[in-house]
Amino acid sequence: MAVLRVRVVAPDRVVYQGESSSVVAPAWDGKVGILPDHAPIIILLGVGELDVDLPGNGSHRFHIAGGVMKVLDNQVTVLTEYAGDQPLVPELIPAGARIHEEDLLEHTSPGNPFA
Amino acid sequence: MANAREVKRRIKSVENTRQITRTMELVATSKLKKATDRVHAAKPYGDALTEIVRSLYAPAFAEQFPLLRRPDGTKRAAVLLLTANRGLAGGFNANLIKEARRGLDELRGQGIDTELHIAGRKGIAYFRFRGEPISGQWTDIGDVPTSDDAERLVGGLRDRFAEGDLDAVYLVSSEFVSAMSTPPATTKVLPIEPDNAEQSAEGFILSPAPGFILERMLPSYVRNVVFTALVENAAAEQGQRRTAMKNATDNAGEVLEHLTRTYNRARQAQITQEIAEIVGGAAALE
Repeated sequence: MAVLRVRVVAPDRVVYQGESSSVVAPAWDGKVGILPDHAPIIILLGVGELDVDLPGNGSHRFHIAGGVMKVLDNQVTVLTEYAGDQPLVPELIPAGARIHEEDLLEHTSPGNPFA
Repeated sequence: MANAREVKRRIKSVENTRQITRTMELVATSKLKKATDRVHAAKPYGDALTEIVRSLYAPAFAEQFPLLRRPDGTKRAAVLLLTANRGLAGGFNANLIKEARRGLDELRGQGIDTELHIAGRKGIAYFRFRGEPISGQWTDIGDVPTSDDAERLVGGLRDRFAEGDLDAVYLVSSEFVSAMSTPPATTKVLPIEPDNAEQSAEGFILSPAPGFILERMLPSYVRNVVFTALVENAAAEQGQRRTAMKNATDNAGEVLEHLTRTYNRARQAQITQEIAEIVGGAAALE
């Protein structure tokens, strides 16, 4: 089976780079799972845990805040304002990373999750 | 002929200077190495973010987002100048200041009301001395600039651009081509002018709509332009300082060589004179 090549990139460095069997990311409107051969997608991220499952056993967990994830040809790029082992204290979460309820209501429609 | 003791004293003094400049050169070399690593480490984020912003951008968004607005004609502009807090870095600060002055003159020559914001003690000291009003100043950006530093610098300008208070924001900083080549450059930060994307977002599932993603990414994009410049500027500063201190060390070496020769000649002259006196004295006794 194909594997995902994952890159987690923060403004000052590449936090993680490696292969993965599946990725679960905190998208702006809830968690999103990516498996190999996923359709190309660009999705806005919120604040939460990013889980990168390794082929075989084990996984990496990062706490991230904001940014965007792009998936193309099994290449997963997570661009985020912050990525670390510890969750950010709420005061330090960049304003741009927060998703507000109004945004969710405005940008989601029940019929089409990607609208 | 110079007094031998006098020359000896100068040799000591130049040796001390050389010792100091050599140490500073070594310090700058090690800082340069780390700063260069940071320049490379910051590149993937900038590249990926630029690519995404470009692929999502469509000219139609210009009316929808304040940050993408295209002002008709520029009335008010801001220049953000990045300099160092410390000197002894060759022409580093002077070149940046010259570039900023050129930019200011050019903008004001066009009748644009231009304000100046400066990071770094050297730039602030220069423009304060010239009596130039400084609209914003920061002296607390260290050798390891962070994304938050960039946000502090550009956040206010970005908001004012979005509100329509400013029509353009320029950034003056050193481009880090290599440790030896760090030309000062002016970058237009706002309005954002994304080049045509090589790869458009067509064929991608976009969640949420591209406009909303873009709205969230644009502030980061602007901040990251400044962050990249801060990181490059820090590396350029160390590169320039290393070169300057290497030259100073080499020059001190040359001066030492010259002084040593003068000292030897003075000493020899003294010895010759003493022998002549002894010989003269002996001859007088005969």
